[in-house]
Amino acid sequence: MQREVGSLPLAPALRTRLVAAGFQTAQDLLETGPCGLSKEIGISKEEALEVLQVVRQECHGDAARTAGASDATRKCTALELLEEEQAQGFIITFCSALDNVLGGGVQLTKITEICGAPGVGKTQLCMQLAVDVQIPECFGGVAGEAVFIDTEGSFMVDRVADIATACVQHCQLIAEAHQEEDHLKALETFSLESILSHIYYFRCRDYIELLAQVYLLPDFLSEHSKVRLVVVDGIAFPFRHDFEDLSLRTRLLNGLAQQLIIIANDHKAAVVLTNQMTTRIGQSQSTLVPALGESWGHAATVRLIFHWDNSQRLATLYKSPSQKESTVPYHVTSHGFRDVQPPAVTQNAEDTEMNPRKRPRREEEK
Amino acid sequence: MAAKKLRRARLSQELCERLSRHQITTCQDFLCLSFLELMKVTGQSYYDVQKLLRKVSRACAPKMQTAYEMKLRNSVNPSSAFLSTTLHSLDKVLHGGVPCGSLTELTSPPGCGKTQFCIMMSVLATLPVSMGGLGGAVIYIDTESAFSAERLIEIAGNRFPTYFDSDEKLFCMTRSIHLYRELTCGSVLKRIMSLEEEIISKKVKLIIIDSVASVVRKEFDTKLQGNLAERSNFLTRGASVLKYLAEEFSIPV
Repeated sequence: MQREVGSLPLAPALRTRLVAAGFQTAQDLLETGPCGLSKEIGISKEEALEVLQVVRQECHGDAARTAGASDATRKCTALELLEEEQAQGFIITFCSALDNVLGGGVQLTKITEICGAPGVGKTQLCMQLAVDVQIPECFGGVAGEAVFIDTEGSFMVDRVADIATACVQHCQLIAEAHQEEDHLKALETFSLESILSHIYYFRCRDYIELLAQVYLLPDFLSEHSKVRLVVVDGIAFPFRHDFEDLSLRTRLLNGLAQQLIIIANDHKAAVVLTNQMTTRIGQSQSTLVPALGESWGHAATVRLIFHWDNSQRLATLYKSPSQKESTVPYHVTSHGFRDVQPPAVTQNAEDTEMNPRKRPRREEEK
Repeated sequence: MAAKKLRRARLSQELCERLSRHQITTCQDFLCLSFLELMKVTGQSYYDVQKLLRKVSRACAPKMQTAYEMKLRNSVNPSSAFLSTTLHSLDKVLHGGVPCGSLTELTSPPGCGKTQFCIMMSVLATLPVSMGGLGGAVIYIDTESAFSAERLIEIAGNRFPTYFDSDEKLFCMTRSIHLYRELTCGSVLKRIMSLEEEIISKKVKLIIIDSVASVVRKEFDTKLQGNLAERSNFLTRGASVLKYLAEEFSIPV
């Protein structure tokens, strides 16, 4: 009740008038009443009433917060968080080595950043994830939908169709091996058409469209509440050219990062960003580092760096709050993102005591 | 999209006037400001500013489409999704040919045949759709002066003798290939930016730039200080304009 008038979310002109009239705390405002307020400040009675309603709402929120009401606040104990995290799903990447390194897959409510040189497989992984997020729960997925925001134009629908077909086939194999009711039922809805129709695609041509889209995302996600994955493919591209004012760029990027964190938390979605690499010219050699500068490094919770080693693609977990740093090889096949096959593995879809979360290793049909 | 005037974003007249007093006239200026700055400038409360922000964002944001709609669009007209190169194994690897609506880059050491490939693609693009071409004009931006019209006619005559049986057909084809010789980065960029209207008026179906590297390497020496930034600036600007053209008109570049 002792809240200062200057901190209330009112229009600035109104606030200056209130302060000039001598009101210091919210309590003073509430005591005066709308008629008195309108006379003293010179605003209409309706406006005065609105002001008082805003004040009451704010104070009510304050009181609830100080009384420790649990649902108005974001405060909870670490035990509750632990339970939540353990129950949380992961979005598998179909490359079990990478999933192990990540602790199960791409985590929901966290921002994962994928950096890499051009052509190394970032967009492939994003397309794979957009399909994998839709895997039904009985097969070990999160049964969600995906939003794909593309700034570079590298989204190829035919490729996604290939990946989706391979994923459906994979699930069919598992269902045949297990022969359980809910598996077969889930397979009826898990088809190529349904996968493609639940990937919502936005093509942003420059950073303003990207900003606008991210501002509108919360509304979109409230309408489509099943979305569990937001991919922004190429967050560096619109910010890297034509930007003379670096401080503006940092500010906009930080604002974007905050918006995305809020979206990830509120809607229990995973946010995946892809970043480009830039060369840092050191004393005697140059190294490849993620683009957008040091301050952007704080935005993502988990950072993966993809790079080449001769002709093998490697993924390194560069930054993660819970997993160890390690490097694993991966492959991009015609079916999508996969493990590198050790040569002596034979395919056997029948010998499965496996739980649905482990995927059978298949030989690639080339 | 970004330079859209606020007036057209359906904000009220007095609000627009007030904002223009602070030099905020386009959506770009509006969205670049932080919340507090917006409140100060518009003189409205927190929640109203949020609503305004959403309104302006809606004016700029791209339209949504599902991947399924995109696939349907592609499959309805399969011939329009790719320009076949008539090299079967290459087409198989590329899933049909050079994709329409995106940038394709061709690189190799000198002498491997890039310019020859470009010349052949130009011929293919002018062929009618029934023969696997795109039935349209070609814009060829040549920075190395390596384009030879005689070679063009030679390829056309030998590859498709039945189609190019008369001189008239050859003339028709050569008339629809527009060649621009640009020798500096600045002129290449200017040419790319001016292409939009030409594409519509001349019904262009293919854009070829041969080659980007030569003109960039001539002008920007990476050992000099500021040049790296300028060079990447030029390249990304050119790339984004070309991507926009490719997607807007669904043509290969």
